[in-house]
Amino acid sequence: LGSCRVPISMAEIRAGFNTIKANIQARDPIKTLSILSYPHSLHKLKSSDRCCITHHLFNFYVDKVFKHCKTEDSYVNRKISSIANSFLSVRRSLQQCHEQNKCLCGQESTEKLRQILVNYQGLNVTSAAIKSLGELDILLDWMEKS
Amino acid sequence: DALLSPPQNISILSTNMKHFLTWSPVIVQGETVKYSVEFQGEYEREYANETWIPISECSLTTATECNITEDISATVAYSLRVRAEVGARSSEWGTLQGFFNRITTSLTPPLMKVIADGYHLLVELEDLGPAFQFCVLYWKKGQERRVQQKVVKEVSSVVHLDTMEAGADYCVKAQTYIEAINRSSSFSQTQCVRAQGGTSMWLV
Repeated sequence: LGSCRVPISMAEIRAGFNTIKANIQARDPIKTLSILSYPHSLHKLKSSDRCCITHHLFNFYVDKVFKHCKTEDSYVNRKISSIANSFLSVRRSLQQCHEQNKCLCGQESTEKLRQILVNYQGLNVTSAAIKSLGELDILLDWMEKS
Repeated sequence: DALLSPPQNISILSTNMKHFLTWSPVIVQGETVKYSVEFQGEYEREYANETWIPISECSLTTATECNITEDISATVAYSLRVRAEVGARSSEWGTLQGFFNRITTSLTPPLMKVIADGYHLLVELEDLGPAFQFCVLYWKKGQERRVQQKVVKEVSSVVHLDTMEAGADYCVKAQTYIEAINRSSSFSQTQCVRAQGGTSMWLV
């Protein structure tokens, strides 16, 4: 992520998410709205801001999303726990980069992160959390492609 | 009904990123004692009101061990607990002393088989799962200063290392590397093989 080197077990996170993706996305009735991609895709952002965006999005998922995703399905809950603990581990490394000023945000990214929060707060908390979790592959794809 | 005592001697056996929780059996005369296991990651402790998550494969099991590998899938500190159950009765939870972080797993040198297939130096590596990469070192005997290295990220059946000089001896050793915890095993024993061919006697 630019000058910020963070060990991320993408394969593990992706594998965990893939096992519950269909289950989670089926719980999201609002197909016409995206939290991460509205109005613009993450791919439009400058690659120099990758560290900052990743840092803030991992904070978003750890602080706001995962805790509101509990389901009646024990297996799904276990997988959400796996992803949440992986995000927590990565976030710690990102936090160190942030503190060393290697993870600075440009204006465009700051606006994008603000828009994501607006999208999130536009829904009730459980719907917003489930939708955000269902969009995890959007984040993972962006992290792997950019 | 006497109180059911909680399981004792709760410990973790973790080798090559395979993690098992084990405990001593609880003995109740004339009864079949079953056990249930739960885990709690750092996320649950800090952000989810210290909730515990049951492991369904180890709910009401008669075994005194539980494969927790699939749930220990992040490099953070996990708490683990197990209780005994007989019918409707449950013991208190027995909790693992301290936390378990997979970064402490013990790593063994990989099993490997070195093959001289004509002039081709090949190696077969133990498949330890997707988390494992291998660092393979190989050299021509007598040229220990010119060691070559090959990183194997995915274990296929056989790995081609080099094309050998006729009749020469080549040696190989390997270690595993796990990116998720950024650790390597020690090297395996060195194995040497000889390429086919070499000095042939011409009868005149």
